[in-house]
Amino acid sequence: MTTRHPPRVALWLLNRILPAGDPLTGDLVEEFGRRGSRLWFWRQTAGAVLARRERNRLPVAPLGLTDDPVDGLTTVDRHVRTVNLTASPIYGIGGLGLVALATLVSIMSPASWLVALIIVLTGLVLGGALAYARGRRGASRVPPASPLTRG
Amino acid sequence: MPRNLLTDFELMILLATLRVGDEAYGVQIAREIESTGGRSVLLGAVYAALERLERTDLMVSRLGEPTGERGGRAKRFFRVTPRGLRAVKETQRALMSLWNGIPELKERRT
Repeated sequence: MTTRHPPRVALWLLNRILPAGDPLTGDLVEEFGRRGSRLWFWRQTAGAVLARRERNRLPVAPLGLTDDPVDGLTTVDRHVRTVNLTASPIYGIGGLGLVALATLVSIMSPASWLVALIIVLTGLVLGGALAYARGRRGASRVPPASPLTRG
Repeated sequence: MPRNLLTDFELMILLATLRVGDEAYGVQIAREIESTGGRSVLLGAVYAALERLERTDLMVSRLGEPTGERGGRAKRFFRVTPRGLRAVKETQRALMSLWNGIPELKERRT
């Protein structure tokens, strides 16, 4: 698949992701003139998009010539995040912890569930009433006159 | 002691730039790696590494004039700094010391 003009969509994509004046697009256009392969151009464009995404990350250094390998490793960018997979609202207590807590409450004081239910229902009713009141107030409010429309 | 974190790709780029000379730019560097290193490279990866090397003062660049064959876009020429040259030498020294004394890597004479 050969042609004289580089793929327009790929060029548009490069112009979108690269800053103005970036020499990469010019290099690709120049090399495309020599190779003339649209497939090659698309492959390079995809590579440029990926390289752009990874640009801010520091590389893992296989030839990391450092006097302190442990300190050298700390320079590698880490993208570690903790994700709460247990859907637990309490920090440090997971799903099993919640089940254990609920079991303990059921055994020790079953009446506590009634109190908890009343608290939850009251919260729901109050929240609903508050949302309804805000909705009514917002609908009846007259918007202030814009300074642009003032005669 | 200054720390030089050179990846194998960065080392190849520095060496390719030194081979090309003062007028080295992305395409030439990529071609040099492809012809001597025996591997195909993505220009985007080359530029990402070039930017990194420039940020760490191992390379410097200057903008050239826009040309017609590049659709009116300018080239950016790269040059290895004395610090970059030192990093290459240090890497070579370290690799050679690792290389030496390994019987499996000794060339057999016939």
